This record gives sequence, C-alpha cells and structure tokens, in this order.
Amino acid sequence: MTPGRPSSRVGDNDVRETLAAFTVASEPGNERRAMEKVADAVKGVGLEPPKMERLKTAVAEATMNAMEHGNEYDAGKPVYIEAAVSEAELSIKITDKGSGPPIPEAETPDIEAKLENRQTPRGWGLFLIESMVDELRVSGGEDRHTVELVFRLGEEKGGK
Amino acid sequence: MEVRHLEVEVVRKDEAVVLHMKGEINGFAQEALAEAYEKAEGESPEAVVLDFTEVDYINSTGIALIVGLLAKARASGRRVIACGLSDHYVEIFTITRLSDFMSLVPDEENAIREAAS
Repeated sequence: MTPGRPSSRVGDNDVRETLAAFTVASEPGNERRAMEKVADAVKGVGLEPPKMERLKTAVAEATMNAMEHGNEYDAGKPVYIEAAVSEAELSIKITDKGSGPPIPEAETPDIEAKLENRQTPRGWGLFLIESMVDELRVSGGEDRHTVELVFRLGEEKGGK
Repeated sequence: MEVRHLEVEVVRKDEAVVLHMKGEINGFAQEALAEAYEKAEGESPEAVVLDFTEVDYINSTGIALIVGLLAKARASGRRVIACGLSDHYVEIFTITRLSDFMSLVPDEENAIREAAS
C-alpha cells in the first residue's frame, strides 16, 4: 500500500486503499476523461494489459450511463468516481444523482433484431459493462445510483 | 482530454470501398460515418471495408452506429469487412456478435483479398 493514502477496513483481513476519488461533469465525451483518469490511478495495481483494456471500457460505459440515464446530461450534476484496491479486488464505484429510472438488469442484446430494424441499434452499454468485469454490483435509492465494477486480483476470470 | 472527432477517407480499391477512419467512434461520429457510408454506397462495391487502424476508442454508441451501418449494407446485399482492430476491440466485436455478420481480418491487404474472394 502507498503510505499517506486513505484506507478503510472492510473485512477481517481486507483493507481497502483509495486510489482515486473525483467527479466529472455530465457532458458528452467526459466518459473518456474518467476512463483515462481511473486507468492512470490503477497503474500500480499491475493488471494484465487485456484486463486493463476491459477496465477502461467498463469505466467509460458506466460513466456514460451515469451521465446519460442518471443525470440526463445535466452538466450541473456530477458523476462521482472512486477507485479502491484491496488484497482481493479492485473496485471502481460510479455514482450518479439518480434522477433517472433505476438501473435495469443487463440483457444480451438481440443483434438480429437490431440488424432487421426491429429494435433500436442502441442498448449495448450495460451488456458491455457486465461482459468486461468480474462482478457488477448495483445499488442506490431515490437520490443516487451506484454501479460498482469489480475486478478480482490474483486470478483470471475464465475466458476473459 | 479533447474528443478526437472522427475523420473518414473513402477510397475505392478493386472490388471494395475502404473507409479509412481516424479518431473516436462515439456519438459525435454519426454524421461523418453516415456521409462516408453514403459515398461508399454510391460506388456500388461488392464489399465495404471498415479500416479501424487509426481508431483508438469505440464506445457503445459507436457500436450502435456500426450496427446501423451493417444493417444498411445487409439490406443492399453488401458484405462488410473490418480490419485493423486491436485485440481488445476484436474481443468486443466477438462479444457483441458483430463478428458473426462481418469478417474480421488483420489489415487492409487481407480485407481487399477477402472482398475479391
């Protein structure tokens, strides 16, 4: 652990160290800013390059969902992002102001229906996020939604 | 970080028209991609090649734009071939099953060969 960084105890032997905590304004394109900032903050964790790429995509998509669906691209409503690491996992929490509908379950998009114009071509974000992470935790209430992206450390998820 | 808006160069190569894309494929890319595809369609090629060599970011909105483009190509009986994708985006195209509906090849040379086959 890096001295001087905040840490908290979440389990018997699992101390979390906060690697980054920041906000971005809900403006199109800011998901990439969030993605690069998180990637930079977690460099020392030692993720394999493919896992780092998955993390970047998951962070960008979750931030975009928070800006669009949670905050309705209201630049005055920030998205809060916190990255923390423990011995067992790397966690990135992305929280919006929760003015939109609750976050739905991720569903596998029907590409045939999209190609035949029976469905909108959109609707890939949550599916992509779930495909990129080891675990997706969703929580929230009337005033916020939080998506937690979890990457387990010291093991590789099968096929990912 | 500045958004790198998509620039597309449309080039006829034998049986194919190649869309050389440079920048990011996100919501801002809609107009550039639609214009480029329309120009490619005007050439009535056998195949449309999407060259991702100089694309460094594709988000879910970009995936939707590619799905829309693929739908148009299928409606007019044209094949779509993608080249120059990084390993990560090959994984994304596989997960989303875009790879079931377009060929993924390493580079433009292979794409032109694939278009002629």
